Amino acid sequence: MVTRDAEFLERLLAMFKVEAREHLGVISAELTKMEKGVADNPPESIEIMYREVHSLKGAARSVNLADIVSLCQAVESVFSALKNGRMSLSPQASDLLLQTVDFCFRLVDGGKSPATERTVINDLIHRLDGLIPGQEPAASAVADKRVAVDSADPPIAETERVDPRNQTIAPDVAESPDQGVVSGPAASVTETVRISTAALDALLLQAEEMIAVKIATTQRMGELRDLKHRFDSWKKERQRDLSFATPRTRAGSGQISTEYFIPSFGARLTALVRAAEDDHRASASLIDTLLDDMKKTLMLPFSSMFEMFPRLVRDLVRTAGKKAEVTTDGGDIEVDRRILQELKDPLVHLVRNCLDHGIESPAEREKKNKPAHGTIRIEVASHDGKIEITVADDGRGIDIAQIVSAAVKQAKISPEAVAALDDREALQLMFQSGVTTSPLITDLSGRGLGLAIVGEKVEKLNGTVSVHTRRDEGTTFRLVVPLTLATFRGVLVRVAEQLFVLPATNVERVARSRWEEVQTVENRETLVVDGRPIAMVRLGDVLELKVAAARQPVDGPFVQVAVVGAAEKRMAFMVDEILGEQEVLVKPLGRQLPRVRNIMGATVIGNGRVVPLLNVPDLLKTAVKKVPSIIAGSAEAPVQSSSVLVVEDSITARMLMKNIIESAGYEVQAVVDGVEAIAALRSREFDIVVSDVEMPRMDGFDLTARIRSDKKLADLPVVLVTALESREDRERGIDVGASAYIVKSSFDQSNLLEVIGRLV
Amino acid sequence: MGTGRFDWDEIHRKIDAVGVAIDSGYAPTPEERRRILQRRAAQLAHEEEKEAVADTLEVVEFLLAHEHYGIESHHIREVYPLHDYTPLPGVPAFVLGLINVRGRILSVVDLKKFFDLPEKGVSDLNKVIIIGNETMEFGILADAILGVRAIAVSAIGPPLPTLTGIQEEFLHGVTVERLVILDAARILADGKIMVHQDI
Repeated sequence: MVTRDAEFLERLLAMFKVEAREHLGVISAELTKMEKGVADNPPESIEIMYREVHSLKGAARSVNLADIVSLCQAVESVFSALKNGRMSLSPQASDLLLQTVDFCFRLVDGGKSPATERTVINDLIHRLDGLIPGQEPAASAVADKRVAVDSADPPIAETERVDPRNQTIAPDVAESPDQGVVSGPAASVTETVRISTAALDALLLQAEEMIAVKIATTQRMGELRDLKHRFDSWKKERQRDLSFATPRTRAGSGQISTEYFIPSFGARLTALVRAAEDDHRASASLIDTLLDDMKKTLMLPFSSMFEMFPRLVRDLVRTAGKKAEVTTDGGDIEVDRRILQELKDPLVHLVRNCLDHGIESPAEREKKNKPAHGTIRIEVASHDGKIEITVADDGRGIDIAQIVSAAVKQAKISPEAVAALDDREALQLMFQSGVTTSPLITDLSGRGLGLAIVGEKVEKLNGTVSVHTRRDEGTTFRLVVPLTLATFRGVLVRVAEQLFVLPATNVERVARSRWEEVQTVENRETLVVDGRPIAMVRLGDVLELKVAAARQPVDGPFVQVAVVGAAEKRMAFMVDEILGEQEVLVKPLGRQLPRVRNIMGATVIGNGRVVPLLNVPDLLKTAVKKVPSIIAGSAEAPVQSSSVLVVEDSITARMLMKNIIESAGYEVQAVVDGVEAIAALRSREFDIVVSDVEMPRMDGFDLTARIRSDKKLADLPVVLVTALESREDRERGIDVGASAYIVKSSFDQSNLLEVIGRLV
Repeated sequence: MGTGRFDWDEIHRKIDAVGVAIDSGYAPTPEERRRILQRRAAQLAHEEEKEAVADTLEVVEFLLAHEHYGIESHHIREVYPLHDYTPLPGVPAFVLGLINVRGRILSVVDLKKFFDLPEKGVSDLNKVIIIGNETMEFGILADAILGVRAIAVSAIGPPLPTLTGIQEEFLHGVTVERLVILDAARILADGKIMVHQDI
């Protein structure tokens, strides 16, 4: 029982902390506004703060935080006096109130207050009480209450019983000097619930998993369509055959049921395809809506972040000895919470930057005929699914020459390259790490890291950042970021027989060029894309895939490339095939593989296959390091390689045999059982078959027998590789006509290759 | 010689008591009987339990390259059939690749390669045994699963490195039937099995 209560109280406290911070945040923001005289409607601001402090008091009482209760009580009295005009908000008053709010923040974060802080609390209450005219600090009700709180360990001697259910609207008629107003706004219930962000994130994750379902239904639909297509063409062919057939066969007894069966089968297949299409459409739209709605629940207005800026600026100008204020606009625009979180640091950096580098000292400003107070404007606007945030100051502007010389000094750019820069490009230098114009490192800025962080973070969000500056008029930073984190899109490519996904954001374009256009410059292949020469590398080489030397990528006279870029680097990666762009769900590689070179994750495509997702920055780095061996490949290619059909049901054994045989220069096709082998043998010619014996559907003995009985295939060499070691099996193998019989346990590479070499 | 002397009086008294009991047709009261049976049951149960917990190891026996291995079932999450896998470029040879386990992506390790065992013959490797603890999880390749066995700890002898070629640190030991018992906890915790490539 005791522990359950303790747990409950702990949960309650956690909830209280969240709530208290919100209340205090609002009070702090409103106070700062009033203090600067920018509040739209001062009486309303006071009203808001009054309500907030009242709610906070109720909440604090429900978790037995007596110190906060008594502080709130004193603050509430001040607001009450402000409200009914008994006093006005003097600078000292607002200072003291802010100080109290700050102190409350500390109390909230620290939980219980140590005994030493009691004196601070008493002092604050005393001074707050002193603000109210006609109310002596030592006066009646409040003082009594304070004494009670100070002395008594069981907190709140004279208040009602603690009931967590009515924490925010705890009745305290006796203490509230103006009760009517309190009950008014409190009655308007907002229709919201508090949900932990962790729970929301988990829901979003699950909703995102549904993308995999959507991709799978697309795949199923395609497969069904293909099946129907095959069936239709088979039916057509059969009808043609039948029309040539003699009437006798057509009248055969089995024929009637087949004639009946085929149309009904066809009709059902058509219906199935239609149903699959309907299902796909329905689930796709449901899943898309679900994801959209889920993302909307994660939307937060910018105002939730704006609250901190007036305070930040107020504190910063004090320490810097400047005068400035911040205005915000567009606070009601909502954005994905995850984006908002990522934007917080960049915005703080930019505001600090404006104050430190932009806004001049009051004396300097006056010399320039500017108002002593500098202004920093933060504006948010949304259009076309994007959010544009501008942070502008009316300060001295940025000295471009200074930026450039700083960059040269820090060896970020060569003096020769500087000449080629235009103003816009020169300003972009600021976003490089370590470039700072500040001769002095202050705790505000000057380390040259701030803007680099801004650039990095914004880029991570798939956004852009730009600067515009005018001497003595000011500087404007413009960030453009997406409204929500988009679902990941990838370009599916094939290299040798493997599939890979390139992140679509990194793929500038895909292209098909003629081989003749590939030119070797300094032993590196280059290509001209969109009129610009670009380095070309083979993705298979960069990934060190074992590509059979003989096999050049085959697309006739064409090369397929994906032009990939990250940061300032661009490169064309040559692949065997570009299969298209699609939505992908990125997953980690599992705990055993926390970081794999060139691979950032994996995804599951429609048919359930796992496809690695390439890490473009890694690829670009690896590609630069690697010296391409373009000449090595073509020289030793065999004139005409023999082709081998490998039949094996075990995936690992299949891959092993395929690799062994391929590395010996043969061309290999691998299938999983006898039925597929027969199909493969019908579709093209092979020089030899290497088959396992134990397989589902059709085993190696049956396969051999079928090959021997087929007129066209009868002479094809067949090698059986098997786990069956008994003499009877060996004899059976010879009976059905196998050319060689290799037992798996005594298998080794040279053995197999020698046998193949002899038979081909 | 104190031991040679008997307390004849005491012996006589006991014999008399037994005689009386026999004469009166001794039978324990139901209450007494219940208590005795309970005590015996508790004794029996207790010993059984102790044996099971402390003295046997539940292992899953599997075939890997024509040899028998055992791995504690405690660390096994599930056994999954291997239909298909995706090889990864640039990883150490012991990482076979990735598989899709009901939408989750998992890496698969070829223990033969991890232990540097000589490649002998070709094997089917159609099964993946998924092992894991709180911080690590991956699949290991196996040719076939032979079943679950309880093996008495006393029957596990010290590892014979010459027999298996596996470093001693990854082994619990070898049973008399030459079943090699792998130490799953050690394998999971080994730093070498984790792939962390910086560029």
